[in-house]
Amino acid sequence: MTAAVSKNLKDMTFEDFCRTVFDTTKRFEKPETLKGIRAVSTTQYILGPSCASYLAELGAETIKVELPKRGEPMRHTTPFNEPFLYPLSRWMPDKGTGLGFFGANPNEYFMSLDFHKPEAIQIMKRLAAKTDVFCENYRAGTFDRWGIGYRQHAQVNPRVVYQWMGGFGGWGPGRNRASYDILGQAQGGCFSITGWHKEYGGMPSKQTIWIMDYWGGAISAFNIIACLYWRDNVSNKGNFLEYSQVHGAQRHLTDLIALYGRTGIVAQRFGNWEPLLCVHGILKCGKSSYPNSKNPQEQEVGFCFVSAYKDEDFANLCKVIGKPDLAKKYPTHADRVGADAQSAIYPELDKWAADKTKEQVWEEFKKAGLVSQPVWNSKEVSSQEHFHLRGSLAWIDDPTFGDVQTQVLPCLMSETPPRVRWTFKPVGADNEYILAKLCGFSGSRIKELEEKEIT
Amino acid sequence: MAEKWRTEKKRPTIKVLPWPAVPVPTVDEVYAGVDEKRKEYSLWVEAQVRQQFNADKPESLDGIRVLDMTTSQIIGHWCSSHFSELGAEVIMVEPTGGDPLRQWAPFGREEYKFAAANGEKCSPRFLAEARNKLSITLNVETKEGQALLKSIIPQVDILIENAPPGHYDKLGIGYRQLSEINPRLVYLWVGERGQWGPLKDQPGAMDPVGQCSMGFVHGTGAPVSFGGTPTRSGWWLADQVGGTFAAMGAMAALYARERFLGKGQFVEGTAAEGVVRIIDYNWGWYGMDGSVRPRYGNWDLAINIYAVNPCADGQIMVGGGHDRLWFRIWRTVGKDRPELEQHICEDPKLRVVTDRLPHYMQVETYTTMCDWTKDKTRAECEKALQEEEVASGGVSFLDEVCEFPHYKYRGHIEICDDVNYGKVLLGASSFIGSNTPGRIKWIGRTIGQDNEDVYRRLAGLDREKLAALRKGGVI
Repeated sequence: MTAAVSKNLKDMTFEDFCRTVFDTTKRFEKPETLKGIRAVSTTQYILGPSCASYLAELGAETIKVELPKRGEPMRHTTPFNEPFLYPLSRWMPDKGTGLGFFGANPNEYFMSLDFHKPEAIQIMKRLAAKTDVFCENYRAGTFDRWGIGYRQHAQVNPRVVYQWMGGFGGWGPGRNRASYDILGQAQGGCFSITGWHKEYGGMPSKQTIWIMDYWGGAISAFNIIACLYWRDNVSNKGNFLEYSQVHGAQRHLTDLIALYGRTGIVAQRFGNWEPLLCVHGILKCGKSSYPNSKNPQEQEVGFCFVSAYKDEDFANLCKVIGKPDLAKKYPTHADRVGADAQSAIYPELDKWAADKTKEQVWEEFKKAGLVSQPVWNSKEVSSQEHFHLRGSLAWIDDPTFGDVQTQVLPCLMSETPPRVRWTFKPVGADNEYILAKLCGFSGSRIKELEEKEIT
Repeated sequence: MAEKWRTEKKRPTIKVLPWPAVPVPTVDEVYAGVDEKRKEYSLWVEAQVRQQFNADKPESLDGIRVLDMTTSQIIGHWCSSHFSELGAEVIMVEPTGGDPLRQWAPFGREEYKFAAANGEKCSPRFLAEARNKLSITLNVETKEGQALLKSIIPQVDILIENAPPGHYDKLGIGYRQLSEINPRLVYLWVGERGQWGPLKDQPGAMDPVGQCSMGFVHGTGAPVSFGGTPTRSGWWLADQVGGTFAAMGAMAALYARERFLGKGQFVEGTAAEGVVRIIDYNWGWYGMDGSVRPRYGNWDLAINIYAVNPCADGQIMVGGGHDRLWFRIWRTVGKDRPELEQHICEDPKLRVVTDRLPHYMQVETYTTMCDWTKDKTRAECEKALQEEEVASGGVSFLDEVCEFPHYKYRGHIEICDDVNYGKVLLGASSFIGSNTPGRIKWIGRTIGQDNEDVYRRLAGLDREKLAALRKGGVI
């Protein structure tokens, strides 16, 4: 940075300063955090792939190894069987990859390999000898049996950070149980406290996203970077890491576990309200924002979140809804936060919002200086300049698929920002590149492997 | 009954059994009847990563110092927990009265707070994320407070704050000023929607803002036709996801500093954008054909079967969209309801994985599935499905989670015996590893408990100066 620019940065307003240092159009002019780090990922579904993809977004050369031809199962999942991105692979140009594959595989190199063949195991060993990070989520012990587990890796490459990820972990009473994201949510207790209580006609609700997979991947990626840090600065030693998805799920509710351990209280669902604070919940606004839309989702009534738990904010809120007596009845937070009081206060707010759209409600609250946020759907979020300007959502010109809107790793970093170079590629798209670069195979050898259906 | 419970003035006292109410399974029980060869790998992993050996192992972030200056929000505390579990010295810098989060107990009940040895009370929400952290107090609004902060900044690696956008910059302790004092400082701002851009956060904004502003709430819960509404997560999901990504950013910055950069940087992580990153295919789908992701209750848009189904005593999760599991699921059902298995497996429209995904096919499979689950308990369903190695499990309540034998055996739920707060049951660190595992060493401090230690050690304050600052309301 030249002296003139750095002087300039000091005199700018804070907003302009942030816009300058986090400028998303300059991302590709800056270095990558994990440049020169290589990761091999033999993972399926979301948990493992997402972990490897976060590293790829931070600049690691991440090689994803899939089964030949059809690739991993997540390529064949897509909402309502509607949208696919074509082709699935050069061998299957008439099939596409489903959107289920979308968020967990950006920036990776795609290689296909059939582990059931001995040559494939030999190739795997050569890759493992040259990698810094190795992620896998096969059933615990499978890779070990095949001779490509951590114990074998560590002999040739003691600096490898080996991350195993899976449902219940490789040991303990549940070690043979299969798991999926929602099993983590179910057995970690996350379901049981989300949604409305029975009294209000509700039942436990799942979180719409595959949260335990994506979050588990994130926490594993954090741990991997920490282990790389320890390897490079302290010990020169690798690591064997085990992440169990059901374990991660209960980590989210650790305060409720503490509460159970001390008082025996089993936390229950409380719908769109908040047990800790009042008012701090989501109101139902009686009018749709798009009554003439053809999309039934948009004809639905709106919802808007409002927070006014401090006494002066609550008084303010009561003034806005024309019920100053409520503020007198519940003057302090202690008066408001009990379940009875909450059950009395929220219906009053809903009543006031019954003839308004969520935008009107938001406007009124903003005017009064209250913290508020309408419930947006994915269309409304996609149209927010905010997210596009900050680069957490981006339209990219994908090398394979053309214009694609995608999410980007949300760590805004001024010097070494993450970036998305491509969303994903077809099965085996980088076979030639990886085999030539890392295994030194000739063109005819690579062809031979393909003919023998090893790659 | 519920009405009576609410209006009853005198609540029954609950006798709490010491945890675990059911004994932890032993190694012999767990591996009973398993042959040596199959047992060998499990026992090897167990020996590598068992948490009882943690104390003898090094910590990957030992020697890193983090100042966590966030208040009133869980995102910052959640973020700094990542560092404290892996061995960094995390110092929570609270306002002089303590973080307001310390006071927020469910429904305002005093009996839900944890009392320290000195009588001070603290809410579980705060305490659970105060693990391994020190606590000091500092009033950054005062000139002396700012000077004191600046004096310890050269010895800090990561600073985390969540003040209103630009507030610290205005006070003269923002990234621009502090990075001049310590160019190696990694400065992390955390919040809901961001400190710059058209939707800049308003002060005090908390988790549901993040959840509502990026499509999560819209997509969670049952569709209108099923009597549902948009639903927020029962826990502070957006803060916790955003906090993890913020931690990843700060960790990456730290690694870049050591590897090649030689200096720190300005990092920002927000709750809303954290969930934006992980909300599957929403953005690609909208970008492709303008589709808005709908709510789909406890079913999944992109996988059939993958849902929690109502059963006799709650809900049972069953998952397996791909052929291998799909046919096993129906084989299980067919064991006592062969007509249901026949109905599904003979339907030509359900043969291919992707053909099962349209809405009307999902309706068909789930109604058939519920026909089987509705009269069975969670345990019965689980047992039958696991015989066929299908991923399945009941929706557990918190007590069932805490008593789950698998968690207890693996140390996922552990008791921390703390000098301040006594025995506290906690979810253990999810950083399991052979060489540098994460761990919980203590659970939390009382307000400003480490003032003396930290200010003497890092700022070189003596008795007189400490007393003066205390008197002036600076610490």
